[in-house]
Amino acid sequence: MKKKLTLAVLIAASATAAVAGPIEEQIRWRQSAYSFAAWNISKIKSQVVDHPETYNKDSVAAAANAIAAVANSGLGALYGEGTDHGIGWKETRLKPEFFQKKEEVTKVANTFNEAANELAKVAATGDTAAIKTQFGKVGESCKACHDLIRIKDQ
Amino acid sequence: MKVTIHLWDLPHRLFHWLLAASVAAAYVTAKVGGEWIDWHGRLGVFILGLLVFRIVWGFIGSTHSRFVTFFPTFSRVKSYVKGQWEGIGHNPFGALSVIGLLLTLGVQVGTGLFANDDIAFQGPLFNFVDKDDSDKLTGWHNSSINVLLGLIALHLVAIVYYRVAKKTNLVKPMLTGKKEIPRVLAEAISAHEATKAGVIRFALSLIISSTVAWGAAGGITQLPQLTKITNPCCSVTWASAGTSQSNQATPEATQQQTAQAPASF
Repeated sequence: MKKKLTLAVLIAASATAAVAGPIEEQIRWRQSAYSFAAWNISKIKSQVVDHPETYNKDSVAAAANAIAAVANSGLGALYGEGTDHGIGWKETRLKPEFFQKKEEVTKVANTFNEAANELAKVAATGDTAAIKTQFGKVGESCKACHDLIRIKDQ
Repeated sequence: MKVTIHLWDLPHRLFHWLLAASVAAAYVTAKVGGEWIDWHGRLGVFILGLLVFRIVWGFIGSTHSRFVTFFPTFSRVKSYVKGQWEGIGHNPFGALSVIGLLLTLGVQVGTGLFANDDIAFQGPLFNFVDKDDSDKLTGWHNSSINVLLGLIALHLVAIVYYRVAKKTNLVKPMLTGKKEIPRVLAEAISAHEATKAGVIRFALSLIISSTVAWGAAGGITQLPQLTKITNPCCSVTWASAGTSQSNQATPEATQQQTAQAPASF
């Protein structure tokens, strides 16, 4: 029974990967998703941290919503089997360990999700001090994942 | 018979302990990340200021701070290995360590100015290079920290070794500036007794080092002839997109506009 269940989960997982397209496409999509998030992160950084005099509530809220949207989009589907090698917009930096560290990956992914959604909530209030703190937490969650499964520049 | 002499002047000691503290803090803030990464950047600029100060002080500071006094020339290293070296400041091996540390810290700080963390941090001079080069320099920044950690470990091991095996306390002189040495040795070196540096030289070193740090922290981008390359990549792109929509917008106004009202796009 347990074996059958595992098998079903595996099939479901590979089906998700199949839906997300071939390896190169998955890598390209996820690189795009993070680039889009990076643009929105840079907007918040600029308006909340570096140049608070340029703060615009709507702009920051829109950026935070965009980051949350990326986080909530089900990025996991873009990490199918074999996507630790391949060229999207450029060579992927996913470590092969990704596939052995499922539990830790789930943990850091959830942390990012929660942090991003909380940021969207806080951004809507316009409380810049709280936004700054929560923005830092999102950054920490990015770093946790990078440290775990992203190949560093050497 | 022992006599107490002045070895390390006050600026030298301040430099040393501020450097130790800020390198430790820079390491921790980099590891923690998040909000702290901005402090990592500030500490890096501060460390740059300290390094420049030390280099200037190596030329105009008091005797034992000067590079000419302790520079590890081949003949000095050779005589130290043979056990013939006599002196009271940095011995030739210590001097090698000093220069190794200064150079590695220079690489660390120099690369850090152009680095990025692919999250929300860019070094103050990031916009002077393109992203690929910044990534490359970030890689060097990530690698050379290991060299630095190795040298720091060696530095600490040497302190323990001198304390235990040679019964020499290296830490105390770095705190008090004073060192007890045999009278014979003191008389032998009294011919070229330590020259003092004074307030004016200290002020000069401070001005030079803070100017460099200010420039590296982004001050250089405020110089008029450099403003062209200081516009961040994305602002330029969006600014030109914005200008095509409203012809009368000045670059500054467009930049403001893009920062404040993306919804109008």
